[in-house]
Amino acid sequence: MNPYQILLSGITILPVIGVIILLVWRKATKTQAAIIGIISESFALVIPIVLLTTLRKEGVILFSVPWIPNMQISFSLELSWLSITFLLTEVLATLAAMIYSLGDKDGEKNSNTYYALLLLFSLGMSGTTLADDVFLFYIFWELMLIASVLLILGWGHGENRFRVALKYFIITHLGSLMVLVCLITLYVNFGTASLTELVLHASSLPINMQVFLTAFFIIGFCVKMAIFPFHIWLPDAHTVAPMPVTIILAAAMLSMGTFGVLRFPFTLLAFESIQPFAIWMMIGGLISEVYGALMALAEQEIKRIVAYSSVSQMGYILFGLGTLTLRGMQGAVMHVVYHAIVKALLFMVVGIIIAVTRERDIRNVGGLGSKLPILTVCAAIGVLGISGMPPLGIFNSEWMIFAGGFDSGVSIVLTVMTLIGSLLTLVYGLRFFGMVFFGVQKPETLPEKSPRALLVPTIAVTVFLIIEGLVPGPLLEWATLGLTGIFGGLL
Amino acid sequence: MTGYFEIVLPIFILIGGAFVVYLLVRLFKLSNRTESMLTVLVLAGTLVVLVMHYLDVPDFIDRPEVFYGSAEPDGIIYRPNAVGAFILIIGVMIGILITLYSAEYLSRDPRYAVYYPLILLTLAGLLGMFTSNNLFNLFLLTELTTVTASALVAFRFREKISIRAGFKYLIMSSLGTMTMMLGIYFVYRSTGNMQLMGPLGVMDNFVRIGAACFLLGFSLKAGVVPLHTWVPDVYGHAPSAVSGLLAGVLSKSMLFIMPVVCLRLGISEVELGTYLMVFACFNMLVGSVRMLRQQQLRRFLSFSSIAQTGYLMFGLGMGFYYELDQALGVGLFLFLVIAVMKCLAFLAAGVYEYYTGSQDIERLRGVGKLMPLNALSLSIALAGLAGIPLLAGFNGKWLVFSAALLTADAFALACLGIFMLSSVISLGGYLPMIIKQYQESPQPTLEIEGFSQPDISKWMLLPVGLLSLLVVLIGIYPSPWINLVNQVMQWMVMSI
Repeated sequence: MNPYQILLSGITILPVIGVIILLVWRKATKTQAAIIGIISESFALVIPIVLLTTLRKEGVILFSVPWIPNMQISFSLELSWLSITFLLTEVLATLAAMIYSLGDKDGEKNSNTYYALLLLFSLGMSGTTLADDVFLFYIFWELMLIASVLLILGWGHGENRFRVALKYFIITHLGSLMVLVCLITLYVNFGTASLTELVLHASSLPINMQVFLTAFFIIGFCVKMAIFPFHIWLPDAHTVAPMPVTIILAAAMLSMGTFGVLRFPFTLLAFESIQPFAIWMMIGGLISEVYGALMALAEQEIKRIVAYSSVSQMGYILFGLGTLTLRGMQGAVMHVVYHAIVKALLFMVVGIIIAVTRERDIRNVGGLGSKLPILTVCAAIGVLGISGMPPLGIFNSEWMIFAGGFDSGVSIVLTVMTLIGSLLTLVYGLRFFGMVFFGVQKPETLPEKSPRALLVPTIAVTVFLIIEGLVPGPLLEWATLGLTGIFGGLL
Repeated sequence: MTGYFEIVLPIFILIGGAFVVYLLVRLFKLSNRTESMLTVLVLAGTLVVLVMHYLDVPDFIDRPEVFYGSAEPDGIIYRPNAVGAFILIIGVMIGILITLYSAEYLSRDPRYAVYYPLILLTLAGLLGMFTSNNLFNLFLLTELTTVTASALVAFRFREKISIRAGFKYLIMSSLGTMTMMLGIYFVYRSTGNMQLMGPLGVMDNFVRIGAACFLLGFSLKAGVVPLHTWVPDVYGHAPSAVSGLLAGVLSKSMLFIMPVVCLRLGISEVELGTYLMVFACFNMLVGSVRMLRQQQLRRFLSFSSIAQTGYLMFGLGMGFYYELDQALGVGLFLFLVIAVMKCLAFLAAGVYEYYTGSQDIERLRGVGKLMPLNALSLSIALAGLAGIPLLAGFNGKWLVFSAALLTADAFALACLGIFMLSSVISLGGYLPMIIKQYQESPQPTLEIEGFSQPDISKWMLLPVGLLSLLVVLIGIYPSPWINLVNQVMQWMVMSI
């Protein structure tokens, strides 16, 4: 085992040390707890970057130690180009949320547990992207769910948080069970839990079974992606969760469903078993896109508007995946990254609006533009970003997704409809922006000045969004490298 | 009487121990704590003998000369049995923990003197059931467990509800043993023989009716739907430690005697498997649905126990129906994890009851602040039962899924569908229960009533803590347990 492989395991082990320190150190103030959280989380950021050169040389880095030998289960991690893209997105989103949480009011009580759970939440996601063993994958997959449910339960807003958390848990768990059925089917049919081995054999299963597996995988992961009609957990969970958790949920956790679709059915199974679902994925994506946008347009609560926009954006991603073309899927992966940045930005903006005005209803807010110029600029960039204005990132990814749609061989009507549907994003984006920042100032006296601690990370994310949009090259390269592995098997 | 005396030695230790402990306590007016320690000694002795016996099993298996009893053709003999040893080792270990727990739990009860001997006798009956090789003896020993267990259930006989529960258990269980008695009649009528091994003679439809009677009797004792009606009353009102023993070990172990008897008496593996799988579905559904709206913590746990009986039956049923050895192993593993988790849940619920005098779920809202360690333990137990990863229950769930998907047969997959449904429905029961412990309540809670934070006795914390640790341990590192179960499974396959 070479040092790089050991280093790889650090991505999952070092945050655990942070969690233990936090759980033991009960007297930690919020700032102290946050600093420990940020330090432990940054390991998960630094290590993949350190490993980049090795990854470029070797294509993939594997770490494996036996865990439950009599069940052929091992603790195996694999860093590939596909996983590193998702991993870095998720870690960056968590870091941004943690830094943002320093200025946020949530998590004042039991801060040590709060940050420990944030770390576990992120660990669940990094583990999901790295796991090379179906058993391990499921454990991380559920860890991500459990940590987020506990965060909502413990630090959520509103009396109904228990109901919301329960709904969130049960619906997502239902999706997880569907995934579990598929994972175990693969496991019992080949007698191994290792994904590296399953990749070699899985496409030799009877085609009927593969079709069944694909259906279950896609539906299961769509629940996590909050695709219509499986989205019902999302608006409530996003609204009730404390802001940093909402940021991680929207920016990172949703895209884990995308990763799952790419990692399992697309990588493992034969092209013939996926093809029948392609058109349904495109249609599902279209419906989700339009539905999410319409709901965002109809909502009055600021957080829910942005939450519904996630349903809409995930629609684009599913559409991109459904095209089954390299371009469409490149677009989908890029959309995951860009959406994470934009969504983090928008939720940060919403958080500041709520903190400053203490209002959650968009009808009671207005004319903030003159009072909060910096925030207005950030919000404007965020709204333009999500509507797909060049040169901001989402323009690039939507371009790729639509290009994939035209390439896919499916009637172009579908793609044209999706293209036109994207106008709705602009509509709800501008409605949001206009109502909040223009018009008569509401509430008349602002209780607080714009909190600087919240603005700094917001500005940083805005700048990052602009840079990412202007320099899409590296991301495109990573996405391509990540997808070639899949395309080797798919086409 | 000839043969290997060590085969019945544990039974003698338990029965003898019961009398000795009782006499000592009566003669020297020993305290509850002392009696509990004496009982632990007896159980520890039994455990040592059982473990040695268990290690001997590989030499014993399939050797007709290994027995204890009268060597004549229709003499009563006892034979070693790997599955029995496995189940009893778990049972005795849980018995030890329960005895330790009772050292505090019973300290307010003046009638403690008879309590521990009854536990010993119940375990002796169970042990006898697994080693006995004769239907009539099996019947007697089943009665022994029934009578002693119902005395335990009705232990707090000054409370009406307790008497009712005990009476219900006695009536229902006696109904079960009566049916078995009828079964014995049918078997003996046709074959003139009551041995579980060796040549049986004529096999006609009467023998099969007899087998069906045994099936029914054991189903009743195991709480198979629709014969489950006694379960919630009994587990809900017996002393909590007794509920833990009954729900965790006693009733579920009946599912492992059932195949030994029924397969011997001419019921085919497919028939038995079909029976188990079909009724498993009922159990899973009834248990998880009825669980949702319970007001009392222990009734809630009782219904979840019915669902778990279903999971166990599902695993075993697949093992017989498809002749899938792996599924039998799943059944054994489930028995282990359910015993640990269920017992933990009942013990933790008992701690609440002991210190707050209430097992009303609404009243227990926010109790987590008052007894954080106990709340954590109950949460571990419930999360484990819900199949949350890294706890013992998840490995059980994974194995059930594996076995069902391995068969790739519509019947098993349909049952798996019900299993999934049940596990999702029961999440809707377990999660709110976990949450409520930590929730502030709008209604007057214990805290508002001036209830102060109790000092939970070490006697209770020790078993509760050990079991919690075990749930986590089996969850994180199941390898040794799975090895153990696989070994037992191989012996089980050889002896059936």
